[in-house]
Amino acid sequence: MLVLLFKNFIRSKGTRIGLLFLLIIGFISLLIGRQFQEKQQKNITEAVIYQKEHIARNAAFHKDEIGLLLYYIKFSLVNTTLPISSLAIGQRDVNPSIQSVTIRGLEAQKYDSELNNPSNLLSGNIDFSFVLLYLFPLLIIAFLYNIISEEKESGTWKIVTAQSPNIFLYILKLFYVRILSLIALLSLLLLIAVFFLQIPIDKTFILFYGIAVLYILFWFSVCFFIVSLQRNSNFNAVILLTIWLFLIIILPAGINTYIINKYKVPEALELTLTQRNAYHEKWDMDKQATLDKFYKHYPQFKNYPLPETEFSWLWYYAMQQMGDDESAVQSKEFESKLEQRNNTGELIARFIPTLHTQIQLNEIAKSDLRNQLLFLKETKQFHEKLRLHFYPKIFDNAPVDQQKWNNFKVETFNDNSENGFVKAFLPLLLFNLVLIGLGWRNFKC
Amino acid sequence: MKLLHTELLIARHFKNAVFKNSAVYIITLFIGVLLLFAAFSGWDNYKSQNETSEKYQHESREDWLKNPDKNPHRMAHYGNFAFRKSTSLSVFEFGMEPFFGNAIFLEAHKQNTANFSEAGFSNSMLRFGEISIAMVLQVLLPLLIFFAGFNSVAYERENGTLKILLSQGISWKQLLFGKILGIASIIMLFFVPTIIVLVLIWLMLQNFSISADETIKMLLFIGFHFIYLMFFSVIAVLVSASSKTSKKALVSLIGIWLIFTIILPRTTQSIGAYLYQAPSKIQFNSDIEKDILKQGDSHNPNDVHYKAIKDSLLRVYKVDSVQKLPFNYSGFIMTEGERISSNIYNKHLEDLLKIYEKQNSFSKAVSFLNPYIAMKNLSMGLSNTDYDSYIDFQKQAEQYRYNMAQKMNALQIKYISNKKPGPNDKPQTIDKNHWADVEEFHYEPKPVWEVLKTEITAIISILLWIILLLVLIKAAAKNLKAI
Repeated sequence: MLVLLFKNFIRSKGTRIGLLFLLIIGFISLLIGRQFQEKQQKNITEAVIYQKEHIARNAAFHKDEIGLLLYYIKFSLVNTTLPISSLAIGQRDVNPSIQSVTIRGLEAQKYDSELNNPSNLLSGNIDFSFVLLYLFPLLIIAFLYNIISEEKESGTWKIVTAQSPNIFLYILKLFYVRILSLIALLSLLLLIAVFFLQIPIDKTFILFYGIAVLYILFWFSVCFFIVSLQRNSNFNAVILLTIWLFLIIILPAGINTYIINKYKVPEALELTLTQRNAYHEKWDMDKQATLDKFYKHYPQFKNYPLPETEFSWLWYYAMQQMGDDESAVQSKEFESKLEQRNNTGELIARFIPTLHTQIQLNEIAKSDLRNQLLFLKETKQFHEKLRLHFYPKIFDNAPVDQQKWNNFKVETFNDNSENGFVKAFLPLLLFNLVLIGLGWRNFKC
Repeated sequence: MKLLHTELLIARHFKNAVFKNSAVYIITLFIGVLLLFAAFSGWDNYKSQNETSEKYQHESREDWLKNPDKNPHRMAHYGNFAFRKSTSLSVFEFGMEPFFGNAIFLEAHKQNTANFSEAGFSNSMLRFGEISIAMVLQVLLPLLIFFAGFNSVAYERENGTLKILLSQGISWKQLLFGKILGIASIIMLFFVPTIIVLVLIWLMLQNFSISADETIKMLLFIGFHFIYLMFFSVIAVLVSASSKTSKKALVSLIGIWLIFTIILPRTTQSIGAYLYQAPSKIQFNSDIEKDILKQGDSHNPNDVHYKAIKDSLLRVYKVDSVQKLPFNYSGFIMTEGERISSNIYNKHLEDLLKIYEKQNSFSKAVSFLNPYIAMKNLSMGLSNTDYDSYIDFQKQAEQYRYNMAQKMNALQIKYISNKKPGPNDKPQTIDKNHWADVEEFHYEPKPVWEVLKTEITAIISILLWIILLLVLIKAAAKNLKAI
């Protein structure tokens, strides 16, 4: 019986075209993922070469003044891109994965954006998560909107009811065949991805796979529920597409608008102005006052008094430091607003399976806002480490050629935040159970 | 007149039939709520965006002017900001706004990126799209038209009423036009109130003082959306008329809608981005740096380019050291450095923009196949939220930056003594009144003619669509069969 049902399903021209289309576009998404991966790799290689050459050249020019040298040279920090990120690129195309900073004021450098074609950003990537989120449901709907209604409309339903002892079991088998085909397609695509994108099969990948399977099952559950209402094909098609439209476009877009308007971030611009003034005004202020503030932040440098000269690097870097110190409040506020945005988004997403899936996939792939915020925090620590290392050298005017410049390689940041199975699976699981339960009840009645 | 009477009768009949379905009221209510939500959030967003950007533009200007007497080169590093402002039509069409950087810091020697885009501070939710009036008009109403129109002829065919209609002497042409009018009249129930609200909001935002340019943009915005919605009414009726069953009509129409609004826009842009790879920032900047070093490095005392300048200056002024020149030598060198680096930067930027344009070219070409893309590009253009407007903003900011830096260099050449100050000398300064010489940055959005010129592909494609659909109606009227 199952074999027959499967043959009947796969023989239809529409089914084959649908599956083939999804396979092809799924493969295209892997190609795009691969290109993304290669680009990230290339950037890192370039950053490494660039940093080496850049430091060497500047160190040769500014041999006697380490303070001046450090005005120029930049150190890079890389936000690791996991192989699995290529499946859910998320915000990685918007945000730079490499931060290059000098030891001057960080707030003026931290938010530098990546070069981007806004048209690409607007239309979005065809990454695997797009295929999974948008296109799989469409195929599921296409496979199921007329599953019983068509037989009713063409008059064959009576034959089916007469022939099979258990109608409900028959319907389950119809679903079973379709579920199996799509899960097989998903598994095939992800298997290709494992080899093609060198994705390690670890907990992360299993989590990713699990969410993808549950998400597909969610759409089967939705269809199961709608089919259980036993209306005609046209009604099913309209209502299923409307549900899709709601879950894929209207609700996410509405919620996004809500979050953006609720947590507005004028702090971003305020922060920029504040740090600019905080640093620049010090040029026209009492030098000792600036240095006192500096000593208060770093008591360990108290033994470096203000030199007699009109200009000194100690004073200069103290002024730069003030740019950061005096805009710290705004910076903190800004950061916490963004965290609120992320948390609220995640909280609401639990109730909207599409949104939940997208956010979870990006979280697993480390391509979400949270990852970006962690990267910014890490940039701050990285910058602070450099400062603390170089400040005494600058204040002593240590000889440039005695520094071990080779030790200053491009560093990497690994986001090690864990993703729990429960948090990822539970919302989808609950939605599935509720919909199947409701559908079951409808069929039994 | 009598002929038109028949068509109106068909239209009215169809409209009544659609409104017998109670689901229509739910949809109407829902779309109404959505439109209100879109209008409100668009307004809110526009107001806060513009208020913040105006506030900080003003504040940063005050800060600039408040600077005491100082060396002009300090001022060149103090710098200015270009904050992006939105046009009033962007309340209805967000376009690429969320992906635009909102502020560029403009200082000497350095072209900074446009930072603080909404997208940089959002989680991936943003990528599902946004709810704006334009999105409702361009994406949701076409689907609604299809949902309302798939039955229009196919259902009559299924019921057998089609034969009766045609045997009563109604021509196919009358029937098709009647049905199209019927759908159009339903859609107008959404469109007209929306436009009224739209115009009111738009007037209020500008305190009822509107410029000719903005008015033309608004009228075009309304007109093109009207035409666009008519397209979909025609497509719905044509597909319905040529389908055997209403189910087939519905499935085909849903397919068309998905391809037009979801699949094609993303795919074509992705193909463009895949084929033409743009450099990342790190590569872009290191290429520029390499080229600048090739031209001449002002930090290197032995650099050939700068040595030649120095020698020729010494020769012309018949002195033996730069300290004896009658003007500030380092100001002169910085002017030259700024000129070279900004030329090189602009050249690289042009190359980069060419790659971007190639990426976009696929999507532009596909607007001939897809009225949605044509409409989207046009409405983004009219609301100055398209790619070209953004590039235009960045170019205006860069122009301003260059002028500011060179102005400060000129002040240094003219007013700062050429003698190198000793380690304990007070720094040389000029009077703070000079700061006001640099005008405030003011962004001028592209006027309507410029917009129409850049979006000419979209306009031609819309014209072609009008012709194509008229031809199709004619062909359909001739060839369609009742069964």
